[in-house]
Parts: sequence; structure tokens; C-alpha cells
Amino acid sequence: MEKILIIDDSEMNREILGEMLGGDYEILECDNGVDGIRMIKEQGTGISLVLLDMVMPEMDGIEVLDIMGKNGWLADIPVIMISSEDSPEVIHKAYELGVTEYMRRPFDQLIVRKRCQNTIMLYSKQKKLVGLFADQFYEREKNSRLMTDILAHIVEFRNNECAMHVINVQRYTEILLKELVNVTDKYDVSDSDISMISNCSALHDVGKIGIPDEILNKPGRFTDEEFKIMKSHSALGAQMLNDLPFHREEPLVKMAYGIARWHHERWDGRGYPDGLKGDDIPISAQVVSLADVYDALTSERCYKKAFSHETAIEMISKGECGCFNPILMQCMMNTQEELRLVKEGSGSNIKGEAEIKDFARELLKSDALYSSDRLLHLLEYEKMKNRFFEGITGGCSFEYNAASKLLTLSKKAAESIGVDETIIDPVHNEKLIEIFGKETLKTLASKLRAMLPERPITQFYLHQIVAVKPGESAPVQSFRISFAAEESAHYPADTKCNVYKLVCRTTWTLEEPQRYTGAIGKLVTMAEDYGFMKGTDINDVRGLL
Amino acid sequence: MTLEACYNALGSDYKTALSRMGGSEKLLAKFARKFPNDPTMPALLEAFEGKDWQTAFRMAHTLKGLCANLGLDKLQQSSAELTEALRNTVADNADQLLEQVRADYDMTVGIINDLDE
Repeated sequence: MEKILIIDDSEMNREILGEMLGGDYEILECDNGVDGIRMIKEQGTGISLVLLDMVMPEMDGIEVLDIMGKNGWLADIPVIMISSEDSPEVIHKAYELGVTEYMRRPFDQLIVRKRCQNTIMLYSKQKKLVGLFADQFYEREKNSRLMTDILAHIVEFRNNECAMHVINVQRYTEILLKELVNVTDKYDVSDSDISMISNCSALHDVGKIGIPDEILNKPGRFTDEEFKIMKSHSALGAQMLNDLPFHREEPLVKMAYGIARWHHERWDGRGYPDGLKGDDIPISAQVVSLADVYDALTSERCYKKAFSHETAIEMISKGECGCFNPILMQCMMNTQEELRLVKEGSGSNIKGEAEIKDFARELLKSDALYSSDRLLHLLEYEKMKNRFFEGITGGCSFEYNAASKLLTLSKKAAESIGVDETIIDPVHNEKLIEIFGKETLKTLASKLRAMLPERPITQFYLHQIVAVKPGESAPVQSFRISFAAEESAHYPADTKCNVYKLVCRTTWTLEEPQRYTGAIGKLVTMAEDYGFMKGTDINDVRGLL
Repeated sequence: MTLEACYNALGSDYKTALSRMGGSEKLLAKFARKFPNDPTMPALLEAFEGKDWQTAFRMAHTLKGLCANLGLDKLQQSSAELTEALRNTVADNADQLLEQVRADYDMTVGIINDLDE
């Protein structure tokens, strides 16, 4: 039941209102403004509406409104002021302070009920709209983050650094910025700035794309000339961003520009490329710089081993690895534990496994682009339906997205085959190769790609040949793929052969020219031990399907 | 005395008062009966005596509002005038207006007390 709070110093007034609204709402009462504020603080948006009297002792209605406005509560909790006051100034004042409605005494029951109902409805619709908008905003934000991550990953890939670098720097940047805002209000950094800076931090080394391989991945010491080239990556990255034919004026690009250009500047002015000093260096670049150094120290590189967290912190604070803003050094000391946890949490994953998982998770989530409640509901419903039908009909269903090379198996499919539910680049996935054989996977992929949008559906037969070799306990298995079910007729008499049918529907873009986007399909057991049926007419077998 | 007779005796518009309560005679009667026990009037008199004009203003204001909702027109009228006489500064005729309020109040309460059980 929705709650309505009545703030009025006259008991009888509260009672009359309560009776009038009676039954449809839970009524809370306060006999003065101070208690009213306390109640609102306690209950928050648990209160759907406040009915507020104007003239009260201690704190009058206008003061209550003022406090609610200053705390930002009026955005979520509507207030209807009720008073016999008829001086226009006071009523104007109430509206100025953000009251939703003003009701004059005497009021009548029908009007009170309707106004309360309408106001509550209006606000709840507005809340839903805000929620919807926030969802969309979040999705867009996430997608743009995804793009920068991918781009950054490309840089890392070329750079041969641990692929976790970008993600770590992002996390450290976020941690340090949040602490910075805690410690000082010297820098004007909002929550959305924090999100944008950590997002953009992914691009800090984008200029390395322009550095020759042999320098970038040289294990030994640089010559002076090589070091000069290496150092040019910050200016180069900035230039690349500045030369973008589009979006140059976007805040994100501008932010990325500053970070790319100045993440090797030093607080004492001895950095590069511009020798900026102190707070002439944008705070974004200062933070990313520190995050970058911490991660570089604690990671293994082609020219060095990884230092422990403690050693890294000590080296940085002794000024052995650059010179930083003292406030940022303090932030680093304050957040040591958090930094260490991120470091260790990711350190256990080898070769970017975590990154790939993150990536897959992100992609998976972006399947559900519409996270507004209703659409999410529909999506859940579809999933439920799929699971149900799969449960009845058996078989393993899957979905393949060509753009992301992402194979998604149904839970059951993943369990029965013994692989993960999501697999990136299945043709090169070791586990799948082990089970199905490289050739089978390759053939399947190329056949699917060669389909036409006019005839998107096809079927294959997978023949699992199980041969028991003398002296070996486990049977040797191999798969062969074909368009015909009777292929197993060629197999030696001492082999067993399981036949599976794979029905696939390729998917295509809607707009012309239609491009291949992937496939959905299902694998069903056609007949176990097909060897038994060697003599049978293939049409009989088809009849079984 | 019935509720309607009571309102007529008070010179009030019974129908309007009733419709404000959603047409419920029971509800109107319930609050009318409660009115003589409401602490607003005694608090007004006490504030007046102690020359606590702020409180007096507030009480007159509350009384005005209550009477408006219960349709006690006569008392509403006089308490509205008193409210204005006490807003910001104390007007010269405040005492006189208070006497009018007191007279209307006594009359109103007297009639309400005659309501049938």
C-alpha cells in the first residue's frame, strides 16, 4: 500500500484527511515540520506523497519545503500543500519552492482523493521514465566503453604486454579518482568525469600503434635513438586522436587526447612531451600516469620481472619511478589495499583469460540491448520458453555470432558436451578441437558462411567413430562431417559409430546487401550405434527423425 | 437535534458541508461531535492572555481552516477576520474580534452539544 505522510499540527485536520483518504493508503502522521523531515529522511521514497500544512509551530510548511528542495527530495517525493491561507505571496512562495499542488481549505473528499491519486500516478510514471532513460543511457555508455576496450586491446595485443594492463589501469584510475574526490575538492571531478576518465584511460597508449615492432618489443635496453622513438608514442597518440575526421569535439575524444598526450608528464616538469609542471598537467593524465606506473611495476614485461605490490608502492613513494602530485601519492597510500586486491584478483589469470571472459560477458549482455523492464521480461520469457522446449525435445542448441566470433551454447548443451556455455572463436577453441576435430569445425564454419540468405537452413550429419584399439582402455574417437547420413557405411566392421544430426539456420542482416551474421542450430542424436543399421535403407533411418 | 437541524440552527449550509465529506453523514457527524473537544480554541484563548501573538495567529488560522472544512460558516468568518488582525502585527480591534470569535464558538459548541446521540 502506498504511504502518504500528513504533516499538520492540528490533530483534527490530520484525522479528517486520513478519513477522507481512508483505506486506499497507509497514513503516516506528524504534528510538526521537524518530525516530518525526520520521517521523510527515514522512509525516503517509501513515502509516495506528502500532505503539508502551511502554518505550524517550530518549522512551518515553507521551511519543510525548503529543506526537501535543498536535499533533492522533491524530485522523488511530491508534496501537496493544504492550507486555508489565501494570501497570494505565500502560495506563490510554495510553488516557487517546488510544491506539486496547492489545495485550499475547505477541500472536499472527492477532490482530495483524486488529486492525491493523480499526483502519485504522475510521479510513478515519471520515475519509470527516468528508469527507462537511465537504462538506455547506461547501455550507450557501456557500448562506448566496449569499443574503447576493444581498441585498447588491439594496442596491447601488438604491444605484447599482459592483456590485463588496460583493464587494470582503468580500475586503478577509478579507485584513485574516487579517493581524490574524497580527499579534496580542489579538482572539479564529478561521478561522470570519473567514469569518462577511466574509460579514456584505455586509450593512453594508443600511440604505440605507430611505434615499430622491433622497438616496441625489444627485450634489452634502448639506444638513445630508440628511446626517443619510443617516447614519441604519447604525442603520436594525441595526434591520432586530434586527426580524427569526426568526433574531434566530443568530450570523450578530448579527454582521451589529454590522457594520451600527457600521461608521461612529471609533477616536477621533467616529463615528456611538453614538460608540463604541477597542475598544468590535467588531473586525468596525472591519475592515469600513476595507475600506469603502478601496473607497469607490478606486471611482468619483456624487459623486467614483476615487482610485488609492496615493493611497487615503496618505489613509487620514494620517487624512484617518476614524480607525482603529493595529493595523488596520498590517495595511493589510502587505497593501497584496494589496489592490491585488484592486482591480486587479476594476477591469477593467465594470458588475459579474465579479459576475454569480461569481453564475452559484455557481449552477452549486449545481446539484451533493451534492459527496460518490459523488454527484459520478454527476453526472459523467450529464454524460459527455449529451455522448456529444449527440455522436451532434447538435443543441444547453440547460437553463433560471426561478428564477435562468439558461440553460445544452451546450458544443457554445454553440460553434455563438457565445454563452457560461451566460447570465443570456436574454430580455434582447444576443447572443441579435441572433441570434434579441427577439420570438422573448419568445414562447418565455411559451409555455414557459404549459405545464402534465400535458403538459410541446412543440415549436417556428424559421425562419431568410436574404435577400440587393442591394448588401450579408452576408445579413440573422431568426428566426420558430411551432408549424408549413410557415410558410416565405409567404416571398418570393428568400429562403433554414433550419428548426430545438426540442423542450422544461418542469420543475415536485414538491410541489403544481406551479410552473414551467424547461425543458430541444434544437435540431436540421430541413432546410437549406427553400425547396427549398416544394411538398412537410409530412407528408413530418415523416417525415424 | 438531527445533524441537519443543527447545521440549520448554526446558519450553515448543511448540503455543502455534507458533500465535502463525500456525502457521508456519519463522517460529518463524527467530526462535528469532536469539535467541542478540539484544543485549538482553548490554545487561542491562552495565547491571547499571555500576549503570545504568534501562537495566537497560528491558532486562529487553524480554527479558521477547521471551521471551513466542517462548514461552521459563522465561526469560520469571525476567526478569519481575527487571523488577519493578528498577521504580522496586532491590529487595534483584535480584542474586539476575539470576543466575536468567543461568542460564535460558544454558540456553535452549544448547538453541537444538543446533537442526538
